[in-house]
Amino acid sequence: MFKKVNSAAYSGLKSIGIDVEINTTKKGLSEFNIVGLPSKAVDESEERVKNAIINSNIDFPEKRITVNLAPADVPKEGSFYDLPIAIGILASALRFKIPEKSLFFGELSLDGSLRHTKGALPLALFAQSEGYKNVFLPEESANEAAVIKGINVYPVKNLDQIIDFLINKRKLKPAEYQNRERKEEEPEFDMSEILGQEQTKRVARIAAAGGHNLFMVGSPGSGKTMIARSLPGILPELSDKESLEVTKIYSISGNTSPGSGLIRKRPFRAPHHGISKVGLIGGGSRPKPGEITLAHRGVLFLDEFNEFPRSALEAMRQPLEDGGLTISRSKQRVNYPSEFMLVASSNPCPCGYLNHPEKECECTPRQVSRYRKKISGPILDRIDLHVEVPSVDVEKLKKERRANSNEKSKEIRKRVVKARKRQAKRFKKEEIRTNAEMKNRHVKKYCQLSEKTEEILSQAASKFNISARGYFKMIKVSQTIADLEDADEIKADHVAEALQYRSKM
Amino acid sequence: MEKGKIKIDDKRYPKRLANTKEAPEALYYKGDWGQKIFDKCLAVVGSRRMTEYGRKICTKLVSEVAARGITIVSGFMYGIDATAHRAAVSVGGKTIAVMPCGIEKIHPGYQDDLYKKILKKGGLILSEMPGKKGPAKWTYPKRNRIVAGLSQATLVVQAAENSGSLITANFTKDFKRKLFAVPGPLTSKVSIGTANLIKDGADIVTCSGGIIKFFMPKQEDIDFSETSGEQMERYENLSKKERQVIENLRTESLGVDDIARRLDLPANKAGTILSQMQLKGIIEKSGNKYYVSDF
Repeated sequence: MFKKVNSAAYSGLKSIGIDVEINTTKKGLSEFNIVGLPSKAVDESEERVKNAIINSNIDFPEKRITVNLAPADVPKEGSFYDLPIAIGILASALRFKIPEKSLFFGELSLDGSLRHTKGALPLALFAQSEGYKNVFLPEESANEAAVIKGINVYPVKNLDQIIDFLINKRKLKPAEYQNRERKEEEPEFDMSEILGQEQTKRVARIAAAGGHNLFMVGSPGSGKTMIARSLPGILPELSDKESLEVTKIYSISGNTSPGSGLIRKRPFRAPHHGISKVGLIGGGSRPKPGEITLAHRGVLFLDEFNEFPRSALEAMRQPLEDGGLTISRSKQRVNYPSEFMLVASSNPCPCGYLNHPEKECECTPRQVSRYRKKISGPILDRIDLHVEVPSVDVEKLKKERRANSNEKSKEIRKRVVKARKRQAKRFKKEEIRTNAEMKNRHVKKYCQLSEKTEEILSQAASKFNISARGYFKMIKVSQTIADLEDADEIKADHVAEALQYRSKM
Repeated sequence: MEKGKIKIDDKRYPKRLANTKEAPEALYYKGDWGQKIFDKCLAVVGSRRMTEYGRKICTKLVSEVAARGITIVSGFMYGIDATAHRAAVSVGGKTIAVMPCGIEKIHPGYQDDLYKKILKKGGLILSEMPGKKGPAKWTYPKRNRIVAGLSQATLVVQAAENSGSLITANFTKDFKRKLFAVPGPLTSKVSIGTANLIKDGADIVTCSGGIIKFFMPKQEDIDFSETSGEQMERYENLSKKERQVIENLRTESLGVDDIARRLDLPANKAGTILSQMQLKGIIEKSGNKYYVSDF
């Protein structure tokens, strides 16, 4: 008997429909074969399905079973074909009809229950766009898929339950989306908790407002990591569209937790510097997203920036510029988005104590310059804001707390959002949204400079030997400072402040 | 470019060096060998790990001394040595670099720009070793006896305890020559050596006047501590905040956050003021701290 069950596969972030065809015949020895370019995980599906059916107290048919995953030339991966295969086998054994316009998806446990499976949200999106009506998937993954409107998402606990439903013995209620993440998510660190570091906090605010990449240099323990970790808390909240994009990436890479829904928090990724090139930018023979894609719409924090393998950092150049990358392999070609804010930090020298107020630096000038040269120039070129984070005497600061620095992250976020709105209005006819994304032509078109501002700019350019690229970077940063102050024109004061954050490397 | 070898029995061999014990049998040199360069020589030595304070003082003292035609002798090492050579060259003064290695080798290699500058400005590169022989641990102290031997006086800018600069200071004492030392903050490691020298009788240096007077006793009294008229002019038309910045920086060099705190300003305002003052040339930034330009 021949049965067809619909399911889906994904290549990169795109989903493709997969027909799971099951044929059972009495002719020949009883056997179970899966064809259609299955990977190891799909191949092993055989044992999971067999045992799950037996443990659900159903006799496994003693027949020759052939499963074909069509189209046969697309490589199949993952464990989510367990459910469609089991349904196909049981449909012919128990003689029930497979509901029309339905997708089946999920990994089986040997006891017949379904496990949380990655990729639920992209599947639901695929179902919606392709006109499917029903989606059957593991209960723990259902909430993620229920975000999508216009389809019935059936949460399935185990084989028993779904079979009872399909033979009309039991009712199954479609899942309703539950927002499990609190809307007002508390940030990991609040800006107001950070003592001192006035300038660094100011720079963090500018970075958030204009979407600029940030580079911090400072001795160990000066608070670089804390500043970086508090950044997501001052960035605008994820919009619905952004949230969907982020959840999709996390779902496909298996980073959503069971029962979770849409991700509302901006991603913050802080990979260790031992990371490989593939780990950072993504890849593999079946290309997987890397950290830069997982940080999409969020912050990628690279601590000890110059300890990262140079090849990995160099490979980051193009995605940093384009906000996405295409990974080409012989079998497939996938696109991954990577619009993230790069926050890098490093020590000022190998021992870490150059310019430290108390500790003595042990490095020779040569060691220092060699250490700094490890960072590639083209990457530094793509970072608009540079700041030195001084070491502070926390005890001393605790005594003299000042009001102006104690602004809560929530308040800062409001200002950031306001500045972003100004930018959105400015660039409404363009493809870009933030000042950081401006190309030279945008700078020339949109940035209003008074005569006095131009004067101070050219004065600064000659005094500090600023390159043409540095000149444009300064205008971009000045524009964000002006936006934060709700000013229509870039004033001399804005440029003077931006001068503080130029690269000193 | 001229180069050559001068033996101890040669007439051109500097007398002052010849009169010291263990004077090298021969000197190899690059540059214009003239007697005038050995006329008035001040050795300037100090720590490799100089602080910003050391750099500032060394630059100021050496440029004022070198501008009066006094030759600056030092050891071409990074830190105070290189700063002294650079300061001398920048005012068009003459300077002698005594290398711890063969005459054909530039050590440390990344200072090759300084090497070329010294020669271009009529200075000398000296060594007691020929060829491309590399430096060894024992060649540094040996080199120091030449630095001290060539000079009437030695100025120690910054030195830690057991510093190599103290070896030069000891040679100077042995040769019965004049020793100058710059005072520094006692919290700094590189002030201990100089403080001990002063305790043991070295002349304390507060301005270049004292050194210049030693070389040219007939000169009129010169006061270098006063700010020149041109600099005074720059301080007119300053805003109240800018004046406050200068007042604070005169006692101590500070970072942006310190200034913001002392002036009770938000960090962005403090940054704006500091950038503008930097553009006017009133203050300078080095490391992560600001200094008043005229020191």
